[in-house]
Amino acid sequence: MNVEPKRLDFCPMDTPNSPAPAEPGHSPTPATPIVVEAHQLSSGYGRSPVCGIVDFTLSGGGALALVGPNGAGKSTVLKTVVGQLEPVSGSARIHGQEVDDRSLAFRREVAQVFDEDAFFPSLTVAEHLAIVAAGHGATEVEELIDTECEFFGLSAERSSLPHNLSSGQRRRLLLAAAFVRPRSLLVLDEPEQRLDTAMRSRLATRLRGEVAGGLALLLVTHDPAFVRTIATSALFIGDDIRHLTPAAAAAAISETNPHAG
Amino acid sequence: MRDRAAMNRNSGAEPDGALSARDIRRYTFKASLARTEGGLMDIVSEVYTYVLGALVLIAMSGALVAGLRAQLGIAAIAAAQAGPALLAPESAAAALLLALAAVLLSTELALGPVSMTLPQMSWWLPLPVRRHGFIAPGFYRSLLWPAAAAAAVMLPLSLGLGGSPDPGRAALATVCAVSVSMLLYSLAGWAQATGRGGWLRPAASLVAAAAPLLVMGAALYNSAGGAADLGWLLWLPTGWPLLVAEGNLWPLLLVAAAGAALAWVHARLEQISTASLRAGAMVAGHVGGSILTMDTGELARALGPARESKGSRWITVPMFFRHGPAGGSVRGSLAARARRTLLATHAVLALRQPGRLLRALVLATLPGTLAATLPAVAGASGEPGAATAVLATALLFCAHAAVVSFGSTARFAAGNPSVDALLPLSERSVRRIHWLVPAAGMVLWMGIAFTLLDLLDTGSPALTLLALLAGPGLGAATVRAAFRPAPDWTMPAVATAAGPVPVGAARSFFVGPDLTVITLLPVLLCLLSGGVPWQAYLIQLGLSLLAVLWGTRLRRRVRSTAQ
Repeated sequence: MNVEPKRLDFCPMDTPNSPAPAEPGHSPTPATPIVVEAHQLSSGYGRSPVCGIVDFTLSGGGALALVGPNGAGKSTVLKTVVGQLEPVSGSARIHGQEVDDRSLAFRREVAQVFDEDAFFPSLTVAEHLAIVAAGHGATEVEELIDTECEFFGLSAERSSLPHNLSSGQRRRLLLAAAFVRPRSLLVLDEPEQRLDTAMRSRLATRLRGEVAGGLALLLVTHDPAFVRTIATSALFIGDDIRHLTPAAAAAAISETNPHAG
Repeated sequence: MRDRAAMNRNSGAEPDGALSARDIRRYTFKASLARTEGGLMDIVSEVYTYVLGALVLIAMSGALVAGLRAQLGIAAIAAAQAGPALLAPESAAAALLLALAAVLLSTELALGPVSMTLPQMSWWLPLPVRRHGFIAPGFYRSLLWPAAAAAAVMLPLSLGLGGSPDPGRAALATVCAVSVSMLLYSLAGWAQATGRGGWLRPAASLVAAAAPLLVMGAALYNSAGGAADLGWLLWLPTGWPLLVAEGNLWPLLLVAAAGAALAWVHARLEQISTASLRAGAMVAGHVGGSILTMDTGELARALGPARESKGSRWITVPMFFRHGPAGGSVRGSLAARARRTLLATHAVLALRQPGRLLRALVLATLPGTLAATLPAVAGASGEPGAATAVLATALLFCAHAAVVSFGSTARFAAGNPSVDALLPLSERSVRRIHWLVPAAGMVLWMGIAFTLLDLLDTGSPALTLLALLAGPGLGAATVRAAFRPAPDWTMPAVATAAGPVPVGAARSFFVGPDLTVITLLPVLLCLLSGGVPWQAYLIQLGLSLLAVLWGTRLRRRVRSTAQ
């Protein structure tokens, strides 16, 4: 017996506070609200910070790239901003609310992709995506899945189980899950990891379009091309913390890793 | 993040028309079930396996009851012949319940107690639907094992302790014990839901370690003519089930308290943070892997403190050199200094893990504690019987657990061979130096364990001397276990309780424990027989020497034929 995602009773979700999903190519609204606000934020484990204190704001239509060497604490900052870790000190707010991944509003607005290979072993690619789309109240689930599977090169693997996917395909599935749902903030931890060059390029172009359409994007990356293509601002996290232009951040990555990009 | 709860309440409404957690759970379950191979017969087979498992457990509990009653019968005879027992059985049982309750609480806190699987957390929890429906099933399931553990301990205990066992009282005592376990679960649930109570886990670990030491201290005091009474342990809530077994009914108030506490936790499942659920899932995975690989060291690490103590960072390798390797006069040849460095590394790592040393010490006292709590063993002065067999078995398990505790540095070296390769020493020399500290540790361990048994009239100086001779062999078992070859996962699988495991993998798990058993054979046989003939020393010496040669030998490398 094959369980098709369409057997779920999909209903429209009432999300009065969330902006409509951004369409690529749209211009950002003139007065873009602040989506993420990190104030004197110190990130770490327990009471031990792993990097310096960061201060930044990110508005809709903006893409902030966190760059720096391995082990500098970029992913830790990212996890603190989305509430996976408690701040050592300072605060992070999303849409003006203190970060709490238990709140419905937070989960409606924030899509996040970290490097986690955790899948239901008996669910197919399409069924994983169906859970996310339907759980967010999407009405055209099949169409959404078709679109994202095509974009991420998973059309032939729609009915494949996770253990039959390659490492890169599993990464694509995680990324696709972030796109089958509405979002006003997208948080990506090294999205370029395990992707081939063509997929990286397509993803960068897509993200640039979504940011132009009003999405707030917060990402950690080691790919200078990603920074150049997508970022509107950058924060270097290393021996010191400093705000950089995307061009300077891309140059800093190239210095740290001459083989990058 | 003080206003997290308030924010959560404000946004607690589910979007109109969106799927509920129940819908999503059912969809996931149905989709998985539809793809499960085998069908109805597999389900029947699973049910059959579980029923059979339950019957085996019940039979084992029955056998335990019979064994306990038999021992208490022996105790009555022994007490008549050899004077009063060192501790009252009820007090000893109360100490046992206190230690088990502390272990249970510590384990609950490590596991969550409420947890979900990693896929559930990755794919369900980020959805904008009420999380209660996702978390509650894990909550209900996680109630089962502490309840079952409490019943499995209390039922035989209450049937075994009474002069004439009353099934009704035993059932009520078991209900009371299950209530205690539920209260402990709720305490852990409170800590998880509120993010408070960080002190609970170290406190529980401390109580778990202190309870056997308390029993040992009281027994030693009584054996020296004192009259220490641990009867007050019965008045702690963990001892109340024993009071119910004696006929008191007021401790059953715990049933209502446990119900209220569980209801409190159930109402706050939504408040449990994703980070806490994730941490519990990671620990559960670690525990599962440790059980599958039968690695008690990993199991202890999984359930132990989240982070190693930082307080001992001041202990460094140069401390073990009179002038420090980098400054002042450097004495000895290059090889001698390398040997000293490796020995100092072992000493530093051992001292930086005081928890492991304390665990080894507690393990050394457990056989003595058992001897003190089984009057038949303590009072019969070497009289052979089932109780001595229980003591011998416990000694074997404790010795193996201590062997694992002393093996962490050797295990690190086995996992990072490049560190050893940097030393200007032959591989054989390095392996033997890895043996020295665990061997010294196990000599000390055996000395403590058997001196305590001697003081409690269960052992003898001759047996202690024999045990000391076994110490070097047990050190070799540590090295053998640490440097065991990687499991061969390519061989055909055999069915085990933990699922199919390749034969090659299962065989690898016995590398190390095998040497523990072989080395301890003379000691265990002498303990069981109640005497130490002079030939035993020769045999023990020979076995220890063989164990050292066997445990520290280098395995032949299989040459690649691919070239």
